[in-house]
Amino acid sequence: METLLQVLFNGLSVGAVYALFALGYTLVFSVLGVINFAHGAIFTLGAYFTYLLIGGAVGANGLLAGLQLPFALPFWLALPLAGVAAAALALMVERIAFRPLRDRGSDPLLALITSLGAGVILVNLIQLLVGAESYSIPVGTLGSLPAALSIAGAKVRSVQVILLAIAGLLLAALSLWIDGSRSGKALQAVSEDPITAQLLGINSTRMIQIAFGISGFLAGMTGGLVGLSVSIAGPYFGIGYGLKGLGVLVLGGLGSVPGAVLGGLIIGLAEACVPADLSGYKDAVSFGLLFLVLLIRPQGLLGRPQSSKV
Amino acid sequence: MSLLQVENLGVRFGGLQALKSVDLEVQQGEIFGLLGPNGAGKTTLFNVISGLTAASSGSVRWRGACLDGLSSHRIARLGIARTFQNLRLFSSMSCLENVLVGLHQHGRQPSLAALLQTHSFRRREAQLHQQALELLALFQLEASSHQNAASLSYGDRRRLEMARALASRPQLLLLDEPAAGMNPAEKDELQELIRRIRNKFKLTVLIIEHHVPLMLGLCDRLAVLNFGQRIALGSPEQVRRDPAVIEAYLGVGA
Amino acid sequence: MDAGLLEQMLLGALLGLSVYLPLRCGQLSLATPGFFAIGGTVAALLSTREPALAGSGSTYPITSVLLEMAIAAMLTGVLAMGLGRVVLRLRGIYLAIATIALVEILRVVTLNLEFTGGALGIFGIPQPFDSAAGYASFTLALLALICWLCDRLEKTRPGRAMAAIRDDDLAAASQGINTADTKLLAFVLSALVAGITGVVAAHFFNSWNAKLGNFDASITTLAFVVFGGSRTWLGPVFGGLLLTALPELLRPVGDLRLIVFGVVILVGPLFFPQGVVTPELLKTLKRRIRLPPTPTAQGGKP
Ligand SMILES: Nc1ncnc2c1ncn2[C@@H]1O[C@H](COP(=O)(O)OP(=O)(O)OP(=O)(O)O)[C@@H](O)[C@H]1O
Ligand SMILES: [Mg+2]
Repeated sequence: METLLQVLFNGLSVGAVYALFALGYTLVFSVLGVINFAHGAIFTLGAYFTYLLIGGAVGANGLLAGLQLPFALPFWLALPLAGVAAAALALMVERIAFRPLRDRGSDPLLALITSLGAGVILVNLIQLLVGAESYSIPVGTLGSLPAALSIAGAKVRSVQVILLAIAGLLLAALSLWIDGSRSGKALQAVSEDPITAQLLGINSTRMIQIAFGISGFLAGMTGGLVGLSVSIAGPYFGIGYGLKGLGVLVLGGLGSVPGAVLGGLIIGLAEACVPADLSGYKDAVSFGLLFLVLLIRPQGLLGRPQSSKV
Repeated sequence: MSLLQVENLGVRFGGLQALKSVDLEVQQGEIFGLLGPNGAGKTTLFNVISGLTAASSGSVRWRGACLDGLSSHRIARLGIARTFQNLRLFSSMSCLENVLVGLHQHGRQPSLAALLQTHSFRRREAQLHQQALELLALFQLEASSHQNAASLSYGDRRRLEMARALASRPQLLLLDEPAAGMNPAEKDELQELIRRIRNKFKLTVLIIEHHVPLMLGLCDRLAVLNFGQRIALGSPEQVRRDPAVIEAYLGVGA
Repeated sequence: MDAGLLEQMLLGALLGLSVYLPLRCGQLSLATPGFFAIGGTVAALLSTREPALAGSGSTYPITSVLLEMAIAAMLTGVLAMGLGRVVLRLRGIYLAIATIALVEILRVVTLNLEFTGGALGIFGIPQPFDSAAGYASFTLALLALICWLCDRLEKTRPGRAMAAIRDDDLAAASQGINTADTKLLAFVLSALVAGITGVVAAHFFNSWNAKLGNFDASITTLAFVVFGGSRTWLGPVFGGLLLTALPELLRPVGDLRLIVFGVVILVGPLFFPQGVVTPELLKTLKRRIRLPPTPTAQGGKP
């Protein structure tokens, strides 16, 4: 029987993944005011990088069939490295899909399409290189951990504990950075008022790169964690999370960091509360919730209302 | 009864009291001026009258009827048109099309006639074009009628906004800093132009403008706002001598 | 060209028009695949479950298809009117995501309901035409009709109001335009186009399931409009035709085709920020071929 604690735990760990996902969107949104539709693809790549770095072998269907790195890193080292690789990729996406539009002063809405294009390219590149099959990151890479822990009578999978711990660390580090560091404060300034920030000498191109880098790093790490706790279900597996992440982002309020976390946890917990015989409706629950919140609070839970000054 | 009555009007934006118990009455046919330093609440008053900003207290009456809670398109349809301090033209459209949008309320035609392009439909459309061109001509914009609105000079854009506002055949015209960005020659002409359209269209005009000589020469009556409060009201001569006004202007200027 | 591909392209153009209508009014609604799915489900259910519609000939009667289209239009129209009132209060990206949420809710519900065939969907939808060419001619006629309606719309008062709202909705309201009703009109028209397109598609695809209206479809149809251009109806038609054909035309490059598709939608907006087809381009073309220009709703030069 599922105890309340177990439901809570499941909800929290799924919610943490959504929150990390939405944070990636929010960072970019807060500096550019647009959504990066390639974010899901970067998350997916993070999962594949992790898989390769722990010494996983490519299956038989891609151009890289049978490829295996000559070394196998432990998971706790492979994960941040995959995050770094994903960050590099996110910077590349910024360079090819966002910066050219900014340089030409085009309508920011176009970035929705160009970033979608970048996402399509990345996802299909994965398919071309490593095939469409699913991969899983064996729990064995974690060393000799028991598969499940017993906490206060509830059985909890140890990968979930690890996922929650790492997600918590990432969230804490991110909020420390935003509130405590010069560049974090500059990021806040840019998101509050880009023009004034520029006048105050904040280099917005640099801030944009930082936002993309961090969002890519978070996406890559999240991808690896989900790969570990669920599995990597083919090149398209990031799309579903990407969509949920969007919902979480808007539920919490665009551009709000605490909003992204709150939104993630709410949707994660709401999904965990859906009884098993109705599990088919899980996705409808989260989007229904989002829809209701938008009707009552159009700016999301913690977002600032949009004002149009005359 | 006065045409427009503003009673005890207050507007709050969070902690900021942009308007504080303002009373005004505008009579049919007059040119009424609003003066006041930056941030005094003049534009906010326009926004409340035209339904873009909700009042926190007090009310606005049009011919005795309360405008509270009416959306801006309804207020426009009652016969109140406005221009915007920071120019809000339809920038992807030509000048002619901007004025045609202003004619929106008067261009209604049966859908079927519009689909089939019947004779009467085309005749009516041609009439609308003609009216739009006449309005453009009144503001000396006929030569640029097919030019994109965004490509006009500042002064021309101000005049185009006036033409667009007039297209809806208003009884009250609200002009928010119509002379801003105009050169001195244009400013001189503007005074004459506003008088002319007032007489031609039997308008009442409520005008905000920082250019004091223009206001003293143009307006029948003036009110002065400072920090959201009305500090003076009267003829140009009275207002010019009002010690509170002198202090407000010198206090800010010095 | 293969008539089956042509049919898909025509369906793409219709969907492009459906996304275009609200966007011309400045509203980024991505609800099109949802209404498309409703239309398809209506057609699939009626044509497989309702014997009275089947007729006596060897092919399914066209009149029954027309009847399905009318029913789908009624259903999507009423639904859009109710939903539009609510969602159109949202702006920009919030509207986009609320409509994506609606589409997702609809997809999940259809996926779980018995009578819509669950995850497998509905099979053996009867065929009103015995060849793809028949479908293509029918859809071409439908597309022509809708293009004509869009053209009339753009050149008359409601079209001018829509363009005004897109440029500046506060200023539009100050000219006496009922912005809420005008946006709702665009949203409902968009739903109608998507709904009747769904009916045709269901017959053409022969089977129907919930996957046909998903998030991917929302974004792809948006790409049709952004790529083609959103200031005249020719833009989404061009974008829909070309971007639907592209992956198929690229079949010779095999696995690379979707990558090339990605490159096209990545690079397209860089070179054509207004979309490929703009009113200015049409005017230049008209001048080239020395046709007398007709007044359009958008930036006209003689
Ligand atoms: N939508 C709004 N939200 C918050 N504050 C506002 C808003 N609109 C105006 N204000 C504030 O209200 C005050 C009055 O503004 P308003 O625009 O009415 O001044 P004004 O008299 O027109 O000044 P100016 O001569 O500079 O145009 C200002 O301090 C302004 O910053
Ligand atoms: Mg002002």
